[in-house]
Parts: sequence; structure tokens; C-alpha cells
Amino acid sequence: MEHNINKHISGRFNQELENVRNHVLSMGGLVEQQLSSALDAVSSNDAELAQKVRQNDYKVNAMEVNIDEECTRIIARRQPAASDLRLVIAIAKTIADLERIGDEAKRIAKVALDSFTKDQQDLLVNIENMGRQVLKMLHDVLDAFARMDVQCAFEVHKEDSKVDREYEAITRQIMTYMMEDPRSIPKIMDLVWSVRSLERIGDRCQNIAEYIIYFVNGKDIRHISQEDIEKSL
Amino acid sequence: MITVAPQVNQANLGMKLDLDNLTNEQKALEIRDLDLYYGEKQALSKVNMNIPKGQVTAFIGPSGCGKSTLLRCINRMNDLVDICRIEGEIILHGQNIYDKSVDVAALRRNVGMVFQRPNPFPKSIYENVVYGLRLQGIKEKRKLDEVVEQSLRGAALWDEVKDRLHDSAFGLSGGQQQRLVIARSIAIEPEVLLLDEPTSALDPISTLVIEELINDLKNKFTVVIVTHNMQQAARVSDQTAFMYMGELIEYSDTNTLFTTPTKKKTEDYITGRYG
Repeated sequence: MEHNINKHISGRFNQELENVRNHVLSMGGLVEQQLSSALDAVSSNDAELAQKVRQNDYKVNAMEVNIDEECTRIIARRQPAASDLRLVIAIAKTIADLERIGDEAKRIAKVALDSFTKDQQDLLVNIENMGRQVLKMLHDVLDAFARMDVQCAFEVHKEDSKVDREYEAITRQIMTYMMEDPRSIPKIMDLVWSVRSLERIGDRCQNIAEYIIYFVNGKDIRHISQEDIEKSL
Repeated sequence: MITVAPQVNQANLGMKLDLDNLTNEQKALEIRDLDLYYGEKQALSKVNMNIPKGQVTAFIGPSGCGKSTLLRCINRMNDLVDICRIEGEIILHGQNIYDKSVDVAALRRNVGMVFQRPNPFPKSIYENVVYGLRLQGIKEKRKLDEVVEQSLRGAALWDEVKDRLHDSAFGLSGGQQQRLVIARSIAIEPEVLLLDEPTSALDPISTLVIEELINDLKNKFTVVIVTHNMQQAARVSDQTAFMYMGELIEYSDTNTLFTTPTKKKTEDYITGRYG
């Protein structure tokens, strides 16, 4: 079933849904930019850019609060049903995940404030690769959100297992490094946290993909296997 | 970490009735291939549905979609319309209520009805409630007193009127009058109660009181309600049927119908869209 949010008898309701949807897209754009800048800061060891990312996080938070309020207002005044209700619920959940992605970007940026030795730089390269992978996931899921594209959302959903594998590989590598040079542990811990953050961002993109599918198909696909999801779509 | 046991979800699903395949114990009414014509004009076409016992079933749909007509078929109120012609069956206790052998008065005792505007009789509160019983020839005062209290309690009105049972029913507010009419209907202990937009003439608080009452009534009766207010259907009913231009478009449990309807017409109607 096609869900066109612009065909309500009430023009104002159309407008309200359109606005809240646009706000989510701009919030998504900002979060994507934050993550991208955080990764750039890490790879070029740019402390200034890292600081900027950390300072800008408040904007993401403010957007979450505003959009949440819009959702509450729509529920109170419009009593949305069916796909409208699912849209509002999906949005309320999506922005919570986006806000957390913003927090993770802030944590990743912290790595750029440290200085690393030549050996440690190798680890950073691996993190950067994983970072690009996760950034693409975020980009794609936001794209899927903008077009409410189930197929695209499902592709992102599948992508998460690759990120998980990458996470394991890098963690193993870091552990080896720490065993060889225990004095590096305090500094390397920041790397561990940022790898963990990237892995969590992957999970949150997966969540958003689930909300998109919930909105479009009305199916809750959380906690079920990929094969079962594929069958149900 | 808290893991949600899958049974939680299963338990909820377990409460959902399979409306197409109700057992005889679960079924209050069965509507089979019902067609209705007002003169040349067909007002209902091929309606098929099972109405489960002890639950609230709501009919929703735009004006003129046939929901009130369908409701009125259930106690043969349409018999009163000369040009009305009905084909198909409505089965209550294994018998088609349109069968020639059916006593219509007995049917209407068994299937009570409440209308949009409260219509108390110009009598006292007490006499309104016992009206049906007096018609049945019951005179014993103790019995009548008992039924009055029971019915008014059942209609959540007793506490408000117990000290003025012999005052005129017209002295009550609209919401109270509507509850009095419900008390009058349940006094003769029908099995099925038909409510035709019972709150459309009432203020929001009286509406909530009636909705609360509907929820209590389903413990003893099968309730079928027609409402223009979709949120009301969503609040009070267990099953919802969406009708459009004389056809039953979608009929499912209320939770599903209001969150994930399967038909586009239903979706458009409940979300306030034009098709």
C-alpha cells in the first residue's frame, strides 16, 4: 500500500507531517555531517575540527527535543491512525537513535585530540575504514528514510553484520597491540571506545531501517532473523 | 539484560479471535450474504460477518455507507420500512431471524436497541425501566424493584437517581437519559444490545461515561455499536468493521484495523484522506 502523506482532507495535517518529516531529514543531515567530520578529524589528527564536532553536538540534541515535541503535539491534536500513527512512532524512535549517533560521533572525535605514534597510526587507518563503512550505512538509511524505501532499508539492515565482523577483527588487532605494549593501554582505550562507538552506530542504523519497514509495511521485524525478514517482505 | 520472552507476544495474539472461523460458543450472530434494497436502490450488498459473543463490535464508515442499515437488520427494524427488501440470512441461535416462523417481538426482546437521541418515555425513571417487564405482565413489586436497581446499576446510573426514582425521566440530563434508555433495554435481559450512535448527542464527559458503561456491558451482553466517531470505535470495541457504499470492506480486531489496516479504502478513511 502506498502511503502518501499529502492526501489528508486536512491541509494543515499534511503540513504538520511534512514539516516533522523534513525536520528529521535535516537532523539526519546534521548527524551525518557530525560523523563525517569526526572521522575526518581522526584521520587527519585535526584537533580543531574535533573540537567543532564536540561543540556542535548540542544542535543535534536540540533538534531531538523539538521533533519529539512536534510528535507529541501531532498525537494530542490529530489522534493519528494507521500509517500516520506508524509514521509518528517511527519518527519518534528514529530521532532517539539519531541523537545517540550524534553522541557517538562526539566520542569518536575525542580520539583526534590525542597524538599517536607511528605504529598506532596503523590502527587508526583500520578504524577509518570501518568508519567509512558505517558512514555509508548512515547515509543509506537516511536516504531510505527520505524515500521510505523498504528495499533500501533492508539492504542497510543486512549491512550491519559486516560492520560487526569488522569490529571483531579490529578489536582483536587492538588487543594484540595492547598485550605487546601494555604502557600504551591508557591511550589505546580511547581507540577501543571509538571502535565500539562505530559498531553501535551500525546497530542504530539497523534500528532506523527497522522503523522504516515498520512504517511502510506495518510489520515489526525486530529480533527476527534476516531470512525471516526477507520472507516477510 | 532483560530478554522479552516470545510468549508475551504470543499471549496477546492468542486473544485475537479468528473471525472467519468462530466456534458456535464464540458466535453471537452470523450474517450471511445479506443484500438489502430500498426500492430500486441497493443499500447493502453481500455482507458476510460473524459477530462474537460477549464482545463489542463496532461498525464505522462514512454517512450512507449502510452501517446503521446493517445494525437495524439485526433486530428487523427495517421491517418497518415499506420499500425495504432483504435477501440473505442473519443467524441467531442457529435460526435465521428472517424466517417466517420467527416472532419479531420476541426477537426484539432478545436484541435490544438504543438510538442516537435519548428517547425516554414521558413517565418516571422507575416506570421507564420496568416498561418492558410490565408489557410482559410482571406485576410483583419486589421483582420490579429488584430489576430497577439492577438495571440502573448496570447502566451506571443508580447512584445518581436512587433518591428520585419517581421523578420524571425528562428531568435527567442528556447523558443520564441515554443511560436510562440503556437501563430500560437491559432490564429485559437481551442477549444482544445494538447501539446506534449512542453518544452523538452527548457532551464529551457523558460520552466517556457511556463508553465506560459499554465496556462493563460486554460482560453480560454482546454489544454492536455504530459510531461516526472513529476514536470512539478505537476506544470501545474489540472488533471493527469498516463499511463503504453498502459493502463490508474490512473486518478485523480493532488493534489491527487502527494500526495496520490491509485495505487502502480503510486506510484512507481512518487517516482522514481522500482516495
